This record gives sequence, C-alpha cells and structure tokens, in this order.
Amino acid sequence: MSFLNIENVNKHYFDVEVLKRINIEINKGDFLVLVGPSGCGKSTLLNMIAGLDEISGGEISIDGKSMNGVHPSKRDIAMVFQSYALYPNMSVAKNISFGLEMRKVPKEEREEAVQKVAKMLQMEQLLDRKPSQLSGGQRQRVAMGRALVRDPRVFLFDEPLSNLDAKLRVDMRTEIKQLHQRLGATIVYVTHDQIEAMTLATKIAVMNGGIVQQFGTPQEIYDNPVNTFVAGFMGSPSMNLIEANVCKVEDKLHFEVATVDAQRPLLLPVGRDKGAVEKYLGRKVTLGLRPETVTDPNSANRSEGEIHEADLSVEVTEPTGADMFVVTKLGGREVVARMRSRCGAVAGQASRFAFDVSRNLAFDGETGKRIQ
Amino acid sequence: MSSSSQDNALRSGLLWRVLIYTILIVTAVIYLAPLFVMLVTSVKSLEEIRLGNMMALPLQITFEPWLKAWGSACLGLDCNGISGYFWNSLKITVPAVFIGTLLGAFNGYVLTKWRFKGHKWVFGMMLFACFIPFQIVLLPMSQVLGWMGLANTTSGLVLVHVVYGLGFTTLFFRNFYEAFPDELIRASVMDGAGFFTIFGRILLPNSGPIIVVTVIWQFTNIWNDFLFGASFSSGDTAPITVALNNLVNSSTGVKEYNVHMAAAITAALPTLLVYVVAGRYFVRGLMAGSVKG
Repeated sequence: MSFLNIENVNKHYFDVEVLKRINIEINKGDFLVLVGPSGCGKSTLLNMIAGLDEISGGEISIDGKSMNGVHPSKRDIAMVFQSYALYPNMSVAKNISFGLEMRKVPKEEREEAVQKVAKMLQMEQLLDRKPSQLSGGQRQRVAMGRALVRDPRVFLFDEPLSNLDAKLRVDMRTEIKQLHQRLGATIVYVTHDQIEAMTLATKIAVMNGGIVQQFGTPQEIYDNPVNTFVAGFMGSPSMNLIEANVCKVEDKLHFEVATVDAQRPLLLPVGRDKGAVEKYLGRKVTLGLRPETVTDPNSANRSEGEIHEADLSVEVTEPTGADMFVVTKLGGREVVARMRSRCGAVAGQASRFAFDVSRNLAFDGETGKRIQ
Repeated sequence: MSSSSQDNALRSGLLWRVLIYTILIVTAVIYLAPLFVMLVTSVKSLEEIRLGNMMALPLQITFEPWLKAWGSACLGLDCNGISGYFWNSLKITVPAVFIGTLLGAFNGYVLTKWRFKGHKWVFGMMLFACFIPFQIVLLPMSQVLGWMGLANTTSGLVLVHVVYGLGFTTLFFRNFYEAFPDELIRASVMDGAGFFTIFGRILLPNSGPIIVVTVIWQFTNIWNDFLFGASFSSGDTAPITVALNNLVNSSTGVKEYNVHMAAAITAALPTLLVYVVAGRYFVRGLMAGSVKG
C-alpha cells in the first residue's frame, strides 16, 4: 500500500492545462524528487500536495486518506520554501516554534522541541537571532528546522538549495540526505538540477510540459530512459543523441552513423533491444550514447560490455583533471567521449574510440520514444 | 596640459557650487520668512507691533500672547482660548488616523494576499475615491451624518476622515503588500495560522515603514483639514483649524496679531512634531511602497 498516492491529477488555470494526468505512488520513507526544466509544472504539483493550490481533477491521498479539500495545515505536512520564507520579525526560536504555537502546543513542550531541533541542526547558538542576521546556509537550516520540529508525515522541499552558492549547496545536499536516512522521513523534493535528483532520490519523476515523462528509481531512469527528453535531461555531460540509420551488414544489425568523412560512415553493431530495433530496418532513428560508454580502448570495460572500436578525428579536448572529455563529430552532431586524462587524444588528429555497444540506446526518429 | 584643465574644472566647479548655494539659501530664506515673522510677532507686545517693522526682532520678549491664545482669547462671545479646540482636533485626528490606517492595512492585505474575483475592480473604485474632490461629498455626507445622528459631533468627523482617507491608506498598503513575499503567507498557512493571525502576527509587524508613511500622511491631512471641520461641526465641537479662523475673524476692535500668530503656531505644532519625529521614515517608506522588490 503506497503512502503518498497521486492519482490522475490534473491542473488547469482557465483554459491552460499545466498538469495532465499525473500518477505517482511512493512508499513511506521514500525520497521522491520531481525534476524538470522550469515551467514543467513540478512546483505546481508540490503546491497541490501541500494544499496551497487546488487540484482541478483526480485525487491526492496520504496514508490512504484523501487530501482533496483538506486545509494545508491539517494535512500534517511541512514545507521548506525556495526563499526560506522565514518570518523577518521573529527570532529563530520563534520561527521554529510558530507552527507549534498555532497548533496550541504548550510552551514548555515547544521550547523542548525547539532545543531538540536546534541541536540536531547544530544551531543552538543562533536561536535568539533574527533571520536578517543569518547567512544563507543558516537561513536554510532554520527553514529546515521549522519543518522538522513539526514531525510531519511528509516533508516538501521546493528547490531549497537554489539560492545557495555552489559549495554550500553540495554540503547541504549531503546534510539533507543524512537527515532523510536518519529520520526515515517521507520527502517530496522539487529541483531543476538533475545531479541533485540523482544523488538524493529513491524515486525520481522526470517532468516536462505538465506530464510525468518517466517515474522510477534513479538508476532505472539513468539506464533506461523512456524517451529522448529523459535521456538528454538526466546525466552530466548529457547523453549524445545522434541521427543513425538501421541497416544490416553481413546479416547483423548495425547503426550507420555519418562521420566527417562522407565516404566512410561509422558502423556500430546493435548491442541490445535487437528485436525491436530490427523493425526499424532501413529507417532513421536517434541513437543515444552516454559519454562514459565512449572511451579510449584501454579504459573500455571489456568484461561487462561489448566493445567496438573505430578511428575518429578529434575536434576538441576538455581535460577535467580526473578525466578528459574528447569531442568528435558523428551524425553531424558533436559527440562527447569520456576518456582517461592521459589517453593521448589531440585536437585535429585522429584517435581511437571504443564504443560499448551493449549500452547504446535507440529512440524513434520522430516521436523520440525509446525502441525496446 | 592635463593639470591646467583639471585646474579649470576645479574652478568652474567652485563657481557652480557658490551659485547653487546662493540659490538654495535665497530660496530657504524666502520660504522661512513667514515663519520668522510669525514667531517674532507672537512674542512682541501690541505696542511694539504698532511700530510697524515686521522683520525686527522683539525689544522685549513676552509670552503673554501665547497664554492668551491658549486660555483666554475670545472666539465670538466665548473667551476660553483655543485649548478646547486643540483637544477637539486631537480627539478627531488620533482615532481617525488609527482606524483609517488599520482599515487600509486590512484592505491592502485582502487585496494582495486573499484575492477574490473582481479584486482589481474593487481596488480601482477605491483609487477613484482618492480623486473625488471634497466639495462633491459635502452634501451627501452631511445627510448621512444627520441620519446616523452624528451631525456636529467629533465622532462624526472621525467617520468622515476615516471614509475619505480609506482610498489613500488602502493604496499605500496595497502597493507595499504587493511586494511582500507570498511565500511567507504560504509558510504561515502551512504552519496553521488563520486569516487574522497572519495579518496580526506576520503582515503588520513587518509593515513599519508603510505604517509611518500612512500615519504621517493621514495625520497631516486630518489635522490640517478645514472644509470638513467647518461643514460638519459647530461651536464646541469644531477642530482647531476652524477655531483659528473664528479667532482671527471675531476679534472686535484691535486686531491682536501677536495672539493670532501664537494661535496659528500652536495649531501647526503637532504636524511639525510628527514630521520631525518620523520624517526620515516618510521618504524611505514612500520609496519602499512605490518601488517593487
């Protein structure tokens, strides 16, 4: 039995449909991340779970009880806002205990709860300060404290890290993950940052255009994206999506990809989903190559993968220290390969590339749907 | 070459500076001259005034005119000074400012944070109310006050000023709350705060600048009002502006300029005081309310 159940939920403002038939189910203790580009409807969905926005159709239920029409404060939900939304006129302690005060919790209990939360988040020395006297990271922490103190059934996070600088963001990310593991809380988290989504989530819903494109565990979504949008959105650097022809060479299925040299296209054997790909024989498809599946021959994973090598000309090299991103051109598009930093690739010269064809994905050239 | 041009720049800068300061000082003198004459005249004896030099400093300072203006000057047949009318003005202004500001804040809160269908229309109508000239409301208002049994009372004037000021106070607060983050309201809704709790605990405590602006604006307008005061009050219930007029007009025989000046300054003091105490918030608050973000 799922804990948070979103069933056929719609949302429209007048004639504009912003969310279409959303179906998501998560269990108690799950960390659900709603991820997508801005304007995809993820924040609207979060506000609907919170009860701050009304739903136009469908049902949201928590622990088997329908939440439709239930006031936000009666849903036993706490929310951390993007701007933190701390009350500027109240001290940190007051900010944290305001929700308890509104629920008529006696004063001693409130103080005890505030102390407990302050200790958990290591901010006992900040309790008397006003929000304006806090740094961004401290404000973030107070906002989390305000949610934690209520001990709700579901936590909602609305892009909580987007106002922090890069380093602090990584630190807080780890802190949120630890908090989730320690408390076993059920969390719904909205972000546009796919790395945040991958690192934090136990379940991810990738959204675009008001539709859940794919719902699953981070690994499922990374390894088996259902369409080119999910494939391109998740992962960094993003998946190479190039045009290819399906053909048969020596009775074996191959993807034929144009290279810089028009006379010699690259032929990559089809390594998976052969039955489905065969139906596209002679047609155009979109071929998806994760950068880490295109390597130099020495670092290719020969024990698990099925390696196919080819010489291609290098356009640009981008050393990152640990790795080197080597860019070549395939099917008229730039393709990023992830090689060792000392692989010897030089811009303007040919280099040997190793493709793990067992991890290549094929998508319908028109609809962008995965062929599998 | 560059040094000579810098030299020139400096010199022309100085010239400008002198010119600007001269203009400023002259303007200030012209502006302050009437106040100076009032102050000086109010502490002169009548004999000294008859010497005819308005700008001259007093030969002998006397506070007799001030005491007379406050306690024993005659307005018509009644010789108790303007003190009673001063209190009338306070009795009208303080509640009217308080109620008007509070209602304006409340309207602003509803018009920005609890929007309903047609909220723009309602706000538009209230804005329109700001532009209705005083004269137009005089007759209907006196009719309404009559029906309510509030004619010729200070409570009646409080009502008039609250109603007339509502458009302005609502405008101030609406613009201020427009820039007030919605997420704070959402956070307090999640925290379980109700409609009035959010207003009292979240909105109002964070409205300092705009409250100051509204209070100054309302206080000066209501305190200085003459037309409503003259129209809707009589005798004992008149505000100080009306009393001042009566004082100046009703002196038979000798015109006691020193008493008149003292009374006029007394009548202006509270607004001056409000400006001095809260004036710097006024400019700041006007900015805060008008510029978003």
